[in-house]
Amino acid sequence: MTEVLIKVGFLAIAALNGAIIFTIMDVKGASWMQRRPGPLHVGLRGFIFPLAEILKFVQKEDIIPTEVDRPVFKWAPAYVMVSCVALFAVVPLSPTLVVADLELGVFFALAISSLGTIGVLTAGWSSANKYSLMGGLRAAGQLIAYELPLILAVVGVVIQAETMSLVGIVEKQIEWGVPFVVGGQIIGFLIFMVAATAEMMRVPFDMPIGESELTMGFMTEYSGIRFLIFYISEYMNMFILCAIASTLFLGGYHVPLLPTEWVNFYGPVVLLTKTAILGFILVAIRWSQPRFREDQLQNLAWKILIPASLVNILVTAVLKVGF
Amino acid sequence: MVNAIGPQNLNSFSEASVSVEIETEDMTLNIGPQHPSTHGVLRLVAKVDGEKVHDVKPVLGYMHRGYEKLAEVRSYPQITTLVNRIDWVAGFSNEIPFIAGAERLMEIDVPERAKYIRLILTEMARISSHFVFNGAYALEVGALTPIFYAMEDRERVLDLIESVTGGRFHPNFNRIGGVKPAAGAGPTSKKNIQDLPAGFYRDTKVAMEKVIMAADQFQNLIGGNEVFKKRTKNVGVLTPETAEAYGVSGPILRASGVKSDLRMQTDYLPYDQFDYDIPVGENGDCYDRWDVRVKEMVESAKIVLQAIDSMPSGPLQAKVPKVIKVPQGRTYVRAENPKGEMGYYIVSDGGLGPYRLKVRTASFSNVSILPIMLEGALLPDLIAIMGSLDFVLGDVDR
Amino acid sequence: MEEFFNKIKESFIEVTLEFETINIKVNSTEWIESHKKLRDEFNLKFFSWLSAIDWDNEVSVGEAPKESVSPCFEVITCLTDLANNNLVTLSTIISKSDSKIDSLVEIYAGANWHEREAYEMFGINFENHPNLEKLYLPDGYEGNPMLKSFELISREVKPWPGEVDVEGMPEESESKE
Repeated sequence: MTEVLIKVGFLAIAALNGAIIFTIMDVKGASWMQRRPGPLHVGLRGFIFPLAEILKFVQKEDIIPTEVDRPVFKWAPAYVMVSCVALFAVVPLSPTLVVADLELGVFFALAISSLGTIGVLTAGWSSANKYSLMGGLRAAGQLIAYELPLILAVVGVVIQAETMSLVGIVEKQIEWGVPFVVGGQIIGFLIFMVAATAEMMRVPFDMPIGESELTMGFMTEYSGIRFLIFYISEYMNMFILCAIASTLFLGGYHVPLLPTEWVNFYGPVVLLTKTAILGFILVAIRWSQPRFREDQLQNLAWKILIPASLVNILVTAVLKVGF
Repeated sequence: MVNAIGPQNLNSFSEASVSVEIETEDMTLNIGPQHPSTHGVLRLVAKVDGEKVHDVKPVLGYMHRGYEKLAEVRSYPQITTLVNRIDWVAGFSNEIPFIAGAERLMEIDVPERAKYIRLILTEMARISSHFVFNGAYALEVGALTPIFYAMEDRERVLDLIESVTGGRFHPNFNRIGGVKPAAGAGPTSKKNIQDLPAGFYRDTKVAMEKVIMAADQFQNLIGGNEVFKKRTKNVGVLTPETAEAYGVSGPILRASGVKSDLRMQTDYLPYDQFDYDIPVGENGDCYDRWDVRVKEMVESAKIVLQAIDSMPSGPLQAKVPKVIKVPQGRTYVRAENPKGEMGYYIVSDGGLGPYRLKVRTASFSNVSILPIMLEGALLPDLIAIMGSLDFVLGDVDR
Repeated sequence: MEEFFNKIKESFIEVTLEFETINIKVNSTEWIESHKKLRDEFNLKFFSWLSAIDWDNEVSVGEAPKESVSPCFEVITCLTDLANNNLVTLSTIISKSDSKIDSLVEIYAGANWHEREAYEMFGINFENHPNLEKLYLPDGYEGNPMLKSFELISREVKPWPGEVDVEGMPEESESKE
């Protein structure tokens, strides 16, 4: 029982910290690129900015419009958040430091990550707002379209690693000596990152929020703490997808030349570093790119990413059988 | 027959080919008056089928202040204050055609130096207006960063306008017969009239160089962006014929390939003394409209730099009677404003104020094209097209 | 401009050139034909604006005309030729009791909103207009604000200080205090 409590506590803390780290990174990245003085100089060089942000949202009134579907409206943010937190369970910080080393870790991660969509869709639907509804529907369409390349990109890794356990995948990369991104899965990695960006609903794929078109998309009617939950979930999702990507493609907790017996100490740091690098790329993209149009987004998924990932699987399989 | 106006003229709005087989019901989407991308309080009642827009009905009047009526009860100098607020993004430009009209009716010869100062400030207003467009348009297609750069650069230009006129947005600087002594010039006496603040030439040179640099930066960072190109190229194509029939003017008209610029064609200010280009687009799509404006910024900066080098000396004011009474007559004076053709039709009956003042604003005619341009567009295109028209609601509703 | 003015003079009867603005006066029955002619023969394809003037001797705002006029509406359009930079204003007189005129939407599509504005502001009926409804004013608004007889309420309550401003303000205001 205590073990379960510890694990759950770890999950909550890890998820929250991951979100905060990425919030700081996003905000500081933005202010750095946009020459904004606020988050760069105010209050401990801008590092307590996320705290102020959270406090601001917490003290705001939680407005629930009269026409909404109350229970659904109220629980949708929690649903989104839970699906993000649950993902943290399978990411290994070291061979032993993992909440649940599932045999089907990859399968679990991909299945859970797509559950968040339902939360977004219900949020959009229950808000009784046309903009929210359109945002929810866009999110649904987008997540269906990008779930496929995401899964197909991972299939290449699974074929190469011959296992679906995330620890197993990292161990395989240690065995090979090079991470999979170098060892043949570069296309898979790129597809995974593009699809993951779409999953996170970040620029240039942020149509479900699309503040210039749909005001705030599915979040339009939310305020106060419920909005905060959506906000944090976005960063949790970003953090965890980057962590999964670094586990699958970049060798996870492993780094060459360091003694493997100390992996419990440096493993989390290594993984966090890799995650942060990927996160920074996403931040840089977010603050420098415009938004795609809805049909261009679908075209990209169905006409480019999915065929590319299928070819990737084919090539991987052929090479696997051949050598 | 009339110029054929309709979707067949506007090419395809997007590469999307959505075929709807299921019987679906159109949803009425109310965009505005409170919406981030309607530049204030424009309201569009759009019939949408999913992402596709079928029918758009603009609803105006949320910003209607009745300037034409208010002008009837004011004297000419008082109206200058009023017209400042029509297009507040380029407040200074609004004064020019009105003052020029009153001067034409009174047959006043404005001193050259006053004309040059007017010209410099109008061009600065144009630059600052285009800066706002640049930032806002990038925001509308989803890029969040450029607006910070645009606003920062605009601030430099506004500071200059402020140093001369004392106002950032509503300078109220023109007087019938010339301009008033500048704000930063210190005490004025009849013997010693300092018109421009100390260091104005130097600061202007620096600022204009920065404007040219900023325009170059925009061309690279926004114009060179693949996603931006995808979002704006071949979107919202406007043919010159449609544009003319609707009275669409300014950068939008030029983006459609019509080389028409009132700065060259009319003589309200001495533009013929300078060497500059008129940027013209090819396709008349959103990208061209954006491109024309960015290039215009550079040309405006060049004009200002030339004007500073060749600034004539002399008085700022022509001799005008103390109580300004405009003789009977009527005239229409138009000027090339950042948004397009702005004109005032002044009907004077010899009184202190005009008997009737018709204000022709650019945005009004430019926005009237919206229902046609948006027919069949996708919702994200709606925002992109609307943004590319660069209107200000004060300019639409007056 | 002279050349163009002379060319216009040959085709229209009442043409004036004052203050660099060519004005053509036509009969309201020739409204449509004149525009067609100007568009097709004189290449004035750019529709700049349409508006009206309310001529009346009894006004509730502003100043009344110095010389007595016969009450009427004057409808004005402004047409431009972008290529040759010609500009004309075209005006016609219509009576106040039966204020109607043919709509120009068929010839210049851009006239649509301008006519709607004139309709709500002056109460002029544009016949054959596709949807002649209010443009700016809210539903249920009564009256036509741009009429000279339409009172500016704020002025009724408090006279405009600016009027004093023009006629030597300082002495008067100081002596009062």
